[in-house]
Amino acid sequence: MNDNVYQPDLMEVIQVRQHTPDVRSVRIRFQDENKAKNFAFHVGQFGIVSAFGYGESTFNICSSSTWKDFIEFCFRRTGRVTEALWQAQEGDTIGFRGPYGNYYPMDDGWRGKNLIFIGGGIAMPPIRCAIWYALENRKDYGDITIVYGARSVQDLVYRDELAEWAKHERVRVVQCVDPGGETPDWQGEIGFVPAVVERAKIPAANAAALVIGPPIMIKYTLPVLEKMGLADQDIYTSLENRMKCGIGKCGRCNTGAVYVCKDGPVFTLEQIKKLPADDM
Amino acid sequence: MLEELRKTCRDLLEKGTVNVVIGYGQDDASLPAYPIFVTRPEDADRLVWNDRCFANLVTYLTKPEVKALGKPAVILKGCDERALVVLAKESQIDRGQMVAIGLACEGVGDPREAKCLVCDVHQPKYCDIVLGEAKNQPLPAERRYADIEELMKKTPAERMAFWREELSRCIKCYACRQVCPLCYCNRCLADKNQPQCIDTSSTLKGNFAWHLMRAFHLAARCVGCDECTRACPAGINLRLLNQTLARSAEEQFGYRSGIDPQAEPVVGAYSLQDKEEFIR
Amino acid sequence: MSEIISQEKLRRLVGEWIAAGKRVGGPRRVKSGLVLYAALNNAGELLLDGFIHPANSIKEFIFPRHEVLYSYRLEGKKIALGEPEPLSAEQIVVGARPCDAAALPILDHVFNWDYRDPFFNRRREMTTVVTLACTEHDNQCFCTSVGLAPDATAGSDVLLVDLGDGSYEVRFVTDKGRKLLAGQTEQSSKVGQVPPGPEPKLDPKDIRAILDGDFDSPLWQELTLRCMGCGACSYSCPTCHCFDIVDEGNARGGVRAKNWDACQFGLFTQHASGHNPRTVQGQRQRQRLYHKFSIYPAKFGAILCTGCGNCTRNCPVSLGVLTVIREAARRIEVKSGKPAAATNT
Repeated sequence: MNDNVYQPDLMEVIQVRQHTPDVRSVRIRFQDENKAKNFAFHVGQFGIVSAFGYGESTFNICSSSTWKDFIEFCFRRTGRVTEALWQAQEGDTIGFRGPYGNYYPMDDGWRGKNLIFIGGGIAMPPIRCAIWYALENRKDYGDITIVYGARSVQDLVYRDELAEWAKHERVRVVQCVDPGGETPDWQGEIGFVPAVVERAKIPAANAAALVIGPPIMIKYTLPVLEKMGLADQDIYTSLENRMKCGIGKCGRCNTGAVYVCKDGPVFTLEQIKKLPADDM
Repeated sequence: MLEELRKTCRDLLEKGTVNVVIGYGQDDASLPAYPIFVTRPEDADRLVWNDRCFANLVTYLTKPEVKALGKPAVILKGCDERALVVLAKESQIDRGQMVAIGLACEGVGDPREAKCLVCDVHQPKYCDIVLGEAKNQPLPAERRYADIEELMKKTPAERMAFWREELSRCIKCYACRQVCPLCYCNRCLADKNQPQCIDTSSTLKGNFAWHLMRAFHLAARCVGCDECTRACPAGINLRLLNQTLARSAEEQFGYRSGIDPQAEPVVGAYSLQDKEEFIR
Repeated sequence: MSEIISQEKLRRLVGEWIAAGKRVGGPRRVKSGLVLYAALNNAGELLLDGFIHPANSIKEFIFPRHEVLYSYRLEGKKIALGEPEPLSAEQIVVGARPCDAAALPILDHVFNWDYRDPFFNRRREMTTVVTLACTEHDNQCFCTSVGLAPDATAGSDVLLVDLGDGSYEVRFVTDKGRKLLAGQTEQSSKVGQVPPGPEPKLDPKDIRAILDGDFDSPLWQELTLRCMGCGACSYSCPTCHCFDIVDEGNARGGVRAKNWDACQFGLFTQHASGHNPRTVQGQRQRQRLYHKFSIYPAKFGAILCTGCGNCTRNCPVSLGVLTVIREAARRIEVKSGKPAAATNT
């Protein structure tokens, strides 16, 4: 059935890149030429990747929507499906269905704003796509500040791109590692992300913030942003919930009045505050 | 006996000997009596005792949410007591940190449950408090396993046809596992997926795999409380399956789980006198 | 004037439908004390009285517990996907309870929310549902509390009403129903009388107010402490529809399938990181009630419950939606100053 909404497209793996001992990013392109030409998405959306024989996993599409030759996802090897994806090599076939979910308001609420991107660990990829999109449409946005931290230097991902972003006009990149995670030649900050954000004294006027990371990082970063003067509707995050179908049917990602796969995964803090805290 | 039971439980709570009494309550006589957790002495009057007190309350002794309530007293029929003995032997409960209240039982269900017709534990023997008097009439194994003997008279092909019919109805609700006092694994084998040993699908293959695997994990442990059979919404005669290996254990090793707290469990102990050579 | 059909004729038709290769399902006595909706091998198996409600629901015919989405073959670096056999045989469910049929249009919403599930929709199209009005109910029934009735026609194609004399009044609901029994009924002056259903036991508006007002109440954990975390309630429920997607096969290939799943299982919401938002059964039970009485109505304008009572009947510890909600309603009443009852379940 062409209308089989559960059936993925077959993708060719065109590049596998290792970032840390347990994180890789994979670039895939549609085997069907027509699809390869016409596929489009918005940054912030996610897709569901298949390792046939093992299952599916949900990943943010971490490449910019302005790049037409491939889409990219980044993952940590942590379970059955990601272990199978870890075995993927160039030329292999995996599955992809998407794009699903809502997206960052790059062409909407964020236009003309100063953008503050805050990420921790494996949460850099869903921010990366927004950063590249903004850089490729530079005149549409104001100052860009990126604060990115990980447990240790070896847990940072996309390090080469972080260095490249810093070279762009009105882009400030602050990298940090947890105390004890630094190497002798570490040039960045040492501290937890929320503290580093506070120290960075980022101007909040006309700004929107995207904060993605482990729950504990978000918990302590939000008060910092509020103190800076950012309003709830200008603070965004992307929720990770256990998903299966990705299309609002299987019920797994339902929390409070939302289905994260359909009403999200991008939410403002204003929306998050309406979700049951005890269910997340 | 009911008044005596309520008074006993009231006293235990008043004196602080236990923090919670796990017993039976009922408000709709058309439904089975259900487990209640009494923490206030005045609520002891909610306890009931009748022939609809099916549930094996021992199952709650390994549930974290119940353990969090504190030191328990638990109300037991003779069949339930067998499960208590097994749990203690398998080091899953601290027998000294609880109060077992045994009730003499003439049987449950109307008509009487299959297990009651061949019961030889009407009077609990190892509880801290025992209320009521009943006779424990020893029954020979052929009588106790009469229904299994009947099944064994069929040819293998007939038996296979029987089990295909029974197990085809399984919907994988896992009620059998959840109500079983001896299924206390933190992560059941069926819930593990690296590798996925048991197909989760409700196919003949998946259903056979699940039930046969569970029967083997209960080999020489199943006490025949038959809660699995009662809980099954598809009416599968799980008693026949799970008690078959109990019959084997008795035949081969003279062992009946939960009957004698001193007896060493067949699958939990080794003996240098084991009749197999390879173990020596 | 009404249309009627004799039970004898109905059974004869069932036999003809089966012989014609259609898949006919209905209540069947599987063994002593157990009635299930099941595929019928012959018309004699169809059970039309002597029970309140089968232990399962008719959702199996529209939303099977295991459904293959597609197959895959592993050929070196290449994968070949295969389409599943589409449902080809017409399905007729005879003798369904109105509370079971009413679930189907409720489920239409979620299975067509932006993305249309072709499996669900095809089965809906190919299935004709003949309901039988209820002549009795038990303590667990509460269809009248959720906007239904013993002769409700939601989701039904034809409603039969027992005339008490070996025949049924035939009330056509849809064109599909008219087509099924075209020319098979007789005119009559007899009209079926349907006894009133159960007294309403709860008001969904009140329930929604309680749920929306007191999400964090410790009540949920207390009320559902005895819940064992199985899926008996969800799987026997006509409207519960959560599912899992699994790959099953071997090194050469296999199938990807949709399987029933339940929010009552501990691992349902477990994240890859190991974090689980719902660690205790109280949170999981709460989710089920919220989904049914608050979230689904908010999203789709329909209560995700038809009051059939299966959850309580099948629950090994006599919980179920009605029990929990009534206790919740009672306790909230208590909060407003009425005499307190026992606070333990």
